[in-house]
Amino acid sequence: MAHPRLTPRVQRRAALAASGWVALAATALPGGSPARWIPVLAFVVLAPGLALLLPQPLGLRPGARLEALALAAPVSLSVATLVATTLFLTKAFSLTLFVVVLALFVSVVAILPGVPLPAATRGAVERDGARPSRTRTPRFRVPPFRKRGAGGGG
Amino acid sequence: MQRQGPAPVTGSGVPPQPSATDRGAEDRETSERAAGERDTGGQETAGRETAGRRTAGPEAGAARPDGENGRTGGAAARGRLTAALRSPDALNLVPLLVAGALWLWALPGIDFRSMDEFGLLDRFPLTFYAALAVLTCGFVITLRRAGTAPLWPATYCAAMLVALKAPPAILYDTVRYAWASKHDAIISRLLDQGTVHPGTELSGGMSAYDQWPGFFSLDAALVRAFGVDAAASFINWAPVALGLLTVPVLILVYRTFSDDWRLVWTGVWIFQLANWVGQDYLSPQGFSYLLYLTVFAVVVRHFVLPGSAGTLRDRATLDPAAAAVPPPTTTRQRAVAVLFLVPVIATINASHQLTPVMLCASLFALCLTRRYRNLGLLAVSGLIMLIWNLTMGRELFLDTLGTLREKAGDLLGNSRPGFAGDPTGPGPELVGSANILMVLALGGLAAAAVLLRRRLVRSALPLLLAAAAPLPMFAVNDYGGEMIFRVYLFGLPGAAFFAAAALVPAAGAASRAATIARRTATVALPLTLVAMLAGFLPSYYGKEGMHYAPPGETALTRRAFDRAPEGALILAATGAFADSYYRYDHYERWFFTEQEVDENLRMLKDPAGYLSGGIPAGRPAYVILTPTQGEAVIGEGYLPEGGFDRLGKALKASPLFAVVEESRYGLVLRYRPTTTG
Repeated sequence: MAHPRLTPRVQRRAALAASGWVALAATALPGGSPARWIPVLAFVVLAPGLALLLPQPLGLRPGARLEALALAAPVSLSVATLVATTLFLTKAFSLTLFVVVLALFVSVVAILPGVPLPAATRGAVERDGARPSRTRTPRFRVPPFRKRGAGGGG
Repeated sequence: MQRQGPAPVTGSGVPPQPSATDRGAEDRETSERAAGERDTGGQETAGRETAGRRTAGPEAGAARPDGENGRTGGAAARGRLTAALRSPDALNLVPLLVAGALWLWALPGIDFRSMDEFGLLDRFPLTFYAALAVLTCGFVITLRRAGTAPLWPATYCAAMLVALKAPPAILYDTVRYAWASKHDAIISRLLDQGTVHPGTELSGGMSAYDQWPGFFSLDAALVRAFGVDAAASFINWAPVALGLLTVPVLILVYRTFSDDWRLVWTGVWIFQLANWVGQDYLSPQGFSYLLYLTVFAVVVRHFVLPGSAGTLRDRATLDPAAAAVPPPTTTRQRAVAVLFLVPVIATINASHQLTPVMLCASLFALCLTRRYRNLGLLAVSGLIMLIWNLTMGRELFLDTLGTLREKAGDLLGNSRPGFAGDPTGPGPELVGSANILMVLALGGLAAAAVLLRRRLVRSALPLLLAAAAPLPMFAVNDYGGEMIFRVYLFGLPGAAFFAAAALVPAAGAASRAATIARRTATVALPLTLVAMLAGFLPSYYGKEGMHYAPPGETALTRRAFDRAPEGALILAATGAFADSYYRYDHYERWFFTEQEVDENLRMLKDPAGYLSGGIPAGRPAYVILTPTQGEAVIGEGYLPEGGFDRLGKALKASPLFAVVEESRYGLVLRYRPTTTG
């Protein structure tokens, strides 16, 4: 297509990529005000992990959605910790640099496909909005390991 | 792929339309669950759809006579109301609203400023306890529909977390807990200096925080990003925040081993109540524990080796509540997952000393199963730990290695909590008893499940191994008297899961024993949850008197530090008081009762002489004694009852010490050796 459509998935990626720059803008607000700390906290705690996990090519199953939700915060905080630690160790820490590095990370990673954790994509069903109907037969191939006994816990 | 109940995260209770590929599995699942719900819930319905049908009648009826006949309209409205009140959602919502109202009513009545020997226990109003009891009842009710409406138990779990841990965050006007205040001081110093000095020796083992600065760097960055003065402005919310982040990861772990949402949520609930060891404050341990669970969750979900499941995917051989082993992953997939985990493992290593060891122990324990024999991940974790320990953490690492020879093998010594003797006074004694009873209850329930539900143990063996993995740490080190609490903490996820398994019998089995088990559980589950709540409260809030210091006391402490010249020796009975590490790189500290009780009894015979004997010649020295320390030395059993007051009086009376400041917030004395000649 010559003009990529603004599908919900593209919108989500754009929102993730923008969240860091919004957080950066929020740091210009007076210290301690909710308009400042809420977007900054939400960005640091969620955005890097969601950017790494969420844009899955085939959408996510409910189990994988739970996984993305649960892992987003610890992974985000890990990335933020490593960035902050590196900046402090190199005596280069400044608030702007910290947020800019994270925002750049999120912007780049949001463009890339999500980390293919097996449970995230296996037997994936398109999410709401990505397709008009949920009941439509999936177009993607069904991985061979779907053929197994009842149950499953991956 | 994990087999979820329908729409586990949508909260609508309405299953999404299954795709063609999923339909078979969904059908099986629905029939299994329906059977389970019939058995456990008695009048269980198929979920919200049924509720919708129930309410549809009166609604349809109301549409017709509207405007036609007022009496009919009124009857229809009453019918609608009755139907709404009888709906499962109303049944779930009402206890939540009642508990919320009771809790909000209780909050202003929590008299934390006048805490005595029972901490907050006798300062919580009855309505607070009532709110917690109602929440527990509501949670048990939501379990009946946990499979179709998992958001309800989730809401109750979050509500319980907030109800239990938010009061100090909302009420206290100072930093709760001396160690949190210490971490606040570390963050402030990091911001002040802009970097860390891992090679510089600081008294009291404080250089370790420069050698593992990860967590403090994150906090320092957040302090700047929020534009606040110090971490003190958000520090008291850490238990709530860490809890809210930990629960989803815990669910992920439990869902890997069980398809039964009732078991999963009961496990989470028990985990919250059994997690009384107080490691959830703003600390590297609390943070790295979350990351440890994250690594564990990813490993059990994505690191299953091909061909290792055997019969563990055969529904006929599995416990009815168990989940089949996750699908196997290829070497490439596991390699990607290792890369994904590297930042998390690196953060654990940059933040905390003990958690990487526990992580390696758990990964090693998992390698004992054929399912999770991932030597590559174990090697990567070990390598990252070794690299950090040999570079940033070199000093402490080598020191610890040096002490291993004397501490290794001393099982009794390493499992001893602190230096202290027995706690003195009814409050601390109650806390001690509650702690022991909690451990026994949790251990007993978990052991019962391990013995009685062998098939569940087979499929959830990795969880059991991970729970047991920290135990050998007793043979290695005492971790400053903390090892017993840390071993408990790391064993808790597995223990809570199996304890829940003892209380939530498998649904669906038709044998007589199974029926008896289910009937027993109907009574045992709420009773046990209430009993665990009763155990949690003294364990967590029973010593609160030593965790809260009024602003006047912290101001007195800071004044005392500011008055002392650079390099002075600051003496205090214990370090467990707010701001004890204020500007810690400028002073040396001596917490003189943190030693064997016999030595303290000797000290009490002549406190002034004892202390002056320990102060180096020519060193300016100050003594700070605050009421919080008085609570702490009794709570920890350092001094006998009345010992702290005797200590203060003796020092005031001694010519070796001059009173600098005295008020109800504490006593500050200056050492004056010249008067002795």
